[in-house]
Amino acid sequence: MADSITRRARAVFFGGGAAVCLAVVSLTQPSFAQTQRTVLGQEYIPTVWVDPDGCEHWVMDDGTEGYMTPHVSRQGIPVCRRGNVCGVMNSDQFFATGRYGINSANRQKLAQFFSDATASAYIITGHTDSRASDSYNMRLSYNRANEVAKVGRSAGARVIDVRGYGERMPRASNATSSGMAQNRRVEIICIR
Amino acid sequence: MKFFKTILLIGAVAAISACSDNKVDKTVDRGFDAKHLSTLKAGIWVDPNGCDHWIIDDGVEGYLSQRLDKYGKPVCSGTAPPGVATGPFKEGSGFKDQI
Repeated sequence: MADSITRRARAVFFGGGAAVCLAVVSLTQPSFAQTQRTVLGQEYIPTVWVDPDGCEHWVMDDGTEGYMTPHVSRQGIPVCRRGNVCGVMNSDQFFATGRYGINSANRQKLAQFFSDATASAYIITGHTDSRASDSYNMRLSYNRANEVAKVGRSAGARVIDVRGYGERMPRASNATSSGMAQNRRVEIICIR
Repeated sequence: MKFFKTILLIGAVAAISACSDNKVDKTVDRGFDAKHLSTLKAGIWVDPNGCDHWIIDDGVEGYLSQRLDKYGKPVCSGTAPPGVATGPFKEGSGFKDQI
């Protein structure tokens, strides 16, 4: 009897300990690799926390530790359920082709937007369609974003960043004229 | 023999309890501030460069994660000076810690 208890205890000590502490995770490689790799590790499955901006983060609670990191795509773009873009200005309405000046009527409209908005800070990003060269579009979109930022600042808004993305961040397909029109824009991101 | 058995049993219990810290479901908080992690309340911590991070003090767990805009750039809102945490980041848990 005494012996059997000892044996059982030992079995729990060794067998149980090993089973609980380590889990062997097998990864099946894509068929072309034709090999199976065994990884010694522990399963850590995260859940998703959505921040007040609407973007996702991976989160895990490991008892008395907590872990968190932003959920981004392999391209480094955050995965968000809603954006905090609070204004999209159609470039055709605000700028002449290839220019970045804003006329006084539009200037007034824009100043009104900034004084009505309740955000504590703003990020302004300019975008173009895919016609003309990439470097031309980068410059034009930056100049347009800067003009919008100037109006915002003079209306008392705190602009924390101004960027020109040119044709690199399209919203719609450049294959159609309506898609291109959607891509010609200045976005205003509201930070609350 | 009895003494030896006791020692062995204590050892076994200690080994198992150390390993059972291996919490299997990482998506929930246990204990008396128990909840699903999607309900965490965050504040903003401003790093020495002036950029924002979400900060959450959830009782015995703490979380910190970068605030990014939709393009993946850090948000440096200037809502507080560098090295300062603001907002309701301690409000998610009734479990108070000393600091």
